[in-house]
Amino acid sequence: MVAFLLRRAIQSLFVLVGITLFVSFTIRLSGDPAVAMFQGASAPTAEQLTTIRARLGTDRPFMEQYLAFLGSLLRGDLGTSFRTGAPVADAVAQRFPATVGLALTSLLVSLVIAIPLGVLAARRRGRPADFVVRVVSLVGLSFPNFWLGIMLILVFGVYLRWLPPSGYEGPASLVLPSLTLGLILASTTTRLVRSALLDVLGEQYVVTARAKGIREHRVVYRHALRTALIPVVTFVGLQIGGLIGGVVIVEQVFAWPGLGSLALNAISFRDYPMLQGTITVLAVFIAAINLVVDTSYALLDPRIRYA
Amino acid sequence: MKHTIIALLLALVISVAAAQPAGTLTIAQAQDPQSWDPIDTFFLAWGMVGSSIFDGLVHRNLDMEIGPGLATSWEWIGDDDDRLRFTLREGVTFHNGEPFNAEAVRFTFERLLGEEGAAGPQQANYTSIDHVEIVDDYTVDLVLGSPDPVLITKLAGYGAMIVPPGYVTEVEPETFNRSPVGTGPFKVVEYVPDDRLVLEANLDYFRGPPQVERVVFRFISEPSTRVAELQAGRVDVVQGVPISLAASVDRTAGVSIVPVGSPTVSSLRFNHCLAPTDDVLVRRALAHAIDREGIIEAILEGYGTPIASFQSSMSFGYDPDLAPYAYDPERAQALLAEAGVAPGSSIQVDFIGTDAIFREVAQAVASMLEAVGLQANLVTHETNTYYNDMVPNNRVGHLYFSGWGGWTLDFDNTAYLLYSTGQFWNPCFSNEEVDALLASQRATYDQAEREVALQRVAQLSHELLIDVPLYQHQNLWGVAERVQGFTAPADDRHDLTGVSLAN
Repeated sequence: MVAFLLRRAIQSLFVLVGITLFVSFTIRLSGDPAVAMFQGASAPTAEQLTTIRARLGTDRPFMEQYLAFLGSLLRGDLGTSFRTGAPVADAVAQRFPATVGLALTSLLVSLVIAIPLGVLAARRRGRPADFVVRVVSLVGLSFPNFWLGIMLILVFGVYLRWLPPSGYEGPASLVLPSLTLGLILASTTTRLVRSALLDVLGEQYVVTARAKGIREHRVVYRHALRTALIPVVTFVGLQIGGLIGGVVIVEQVFAWPGLGSLALNAISFRDYPMLQGTITVLAVFIAAINLVVDTSYALLDPRIRYA
Repeated sequence: MKHTIIALLLALVISVAAAQPAGTLTIAQAQDPQSWDPIDTFFLAWGMVGSSIFDGLVHRNLDMEIGPGLATSWEWIGDDDDRLRFTLREGVTFHNGEPFNAEAVRFTFERLLGEEGAAGPQQANYTSIDHVEIVDDYTVDLVLGSPDPVLITKLAGYGAMIVPPGYVTEVEPETFNRSPVGTGPFKVVEYVPDDRLVLEANLDYFRGPPQVERVVFRFISEPSTRVAELQAGRVDVVQGVPISLAASVDRTAGVSIVPVGSPTVSSLRFNHCLAPTDDVLVRRALAHAIDREGIIEAILEGYGTPIASFQSSMSFGYDPDLAPYAYDPERAQALLAEAGVAPGSSIQVDFIGTDAIFREVAQAVASMLEAVGLQANLVTHETNTYYNDMVPNNRVGHLYFSGWGGWTLDFDNTAYLLYSTGQFWNPCFSNEEVDALLASQRATYDQAEREVALQRVAQLSHELLIDVPLYQHQNLWGVAERVQGFTAPADDRHDLTGVSLAN
């Protein structure tokens, strides 16, 4: 188990180096941060640009800039924002809870919806309830998240006025954005829970359990579902990356001050340290989640051992 | 008699109560400038808020008229008008209690013109000032190194906003970015980046205390969400209502659309270094091929004005006699034939992909070009790449988007930066007469002479077809009924001192 974790941690490290290299390189392909500081107000002189580039360090060769970034990263320093002059780590730390809170709540919402519905559909296979769940989940799957977000805003924020349409003002503000992401994620998860449970319900140990006269409810929830959830956990783990991507869009729709808006602003200002810092932290977070997912199999299925 | 006294007392009580600022005004705008330091900024989004926190030596009101600000009067002294003397307002304090005086003025301009200012976009607008001399505590001279006929207006905003010397020196620059201190009608109490900036009434404001107690600026980038917040009654004023939502907002009970003419004009610039648009006949043909009225009617839903110059009619230098090239596809085809442009030749149009309205305009232009036998090719760019790389390095096609107003409402800055030979934003076009006119109007304070020169520049720009101006913008503000005394600012810079809230 320890060897396994160590191996995965080292793999993740390579992935992180790859991601930071990719981000640092691509952001430098277009637009000069020194020029970006003047956009629309005045025209910079060549002398001004030289001074600013020297101060920002963008006049140095790319690999030198990148290695300097990695060097400070190892010391836990994410650098200083070009735009605000404040430490990137502070800005990221301030936004991190908003984004991760939204992502995890969405995940929770999706599971709370998907597991009961998936179980219901599996138990009523081929009957009207199954049909309805499958159709609804297919429809949910086809919604673009920004469209669903705006629809929820119009219905619950403007028409019914039950919830704040946008903003970051406490638990009530969390409902609509997490519902937007949660509903879409739930559609796929529901279908997966249904098919995984159907597979397991046909297995011999389930037949045995039933033959022993255990109540159906107990058979499904205690015996079958636990096994059926293994592929679901893998799937949900793999969805975290996509979920974070969805969060970036949903943050814009709901004026949610998270890492998504931080990253988008960083791109428009060509604020290299801010973008590198934000992406690095998100990448570390996603890598950590994947590690947790891998180890959680063992908790769900005691037969799985890591060598 | 007794009743009269009671009535008088009551009136007094009521008037005292009315003078007390009350209520929270919430304004939603698209962008958070991320830094509130006046010398760092180039954003209208900064101007929307900045005018509530800071003051300049002069003040421009909502009718766009210049009057006294932190200075009560000013005069040109010295033989060659190279010294501008300001008499300062006495008894004004910054939000942190620091006194406003000649030292604050000297500090502000030395900072702007020094090393700190060099790192930002504002310095370039004030380089005519050589140095500042303090005469006494409330008299200060700006000594000019070169003439700047637009200087007084520039002192009303952005980089010239007066900052407190003590605070700026004591705190880190990032702290001033986050919690700015000025002399304005509101003081900053809370800032949550990308979420909100909360201001509180400055009861000691020198023009009198504002009527609302708090102003909350919320930053909501998605236009549909901004509008939803207005319709839900949680936001009182919304900037940038999309044209597509204007009708639905206007139908909502309790809110209305307030359109205001903006100094910004959207144009298509010609690439004069690329065949066939290096030929004036071709440029004229393309100008005749575009149906402005149709674009304004169909895409802008009437919220725009056809125009023949690069800044609106509210700007100094505007020539009212200049009419846009008439929409005449037949003449366009004849001109193209005369210039020897083969039917089916390709014309590339470059613009910013995220600008939803201009995307539609570009598509309309493409079909108009196709109607005169050309092949249109639309190319979109990301905002930053477009302004920092494509335009200055002339990596654009035959026609490319240009939209620049200029808050000073004077042709000078925009025309100089866009049309003078070798300017950063003008990598290609060059004309001796235009260069001479632009230089000459900068060297004189004779406004009549300047107006003649700038109108001539506008005429030349029309004759030479440096660009095809399409329409003057109208900015759409959504305003809740309970907001009293709100005027949508043409230059986006709010003056909220006259705003109050009905219950």
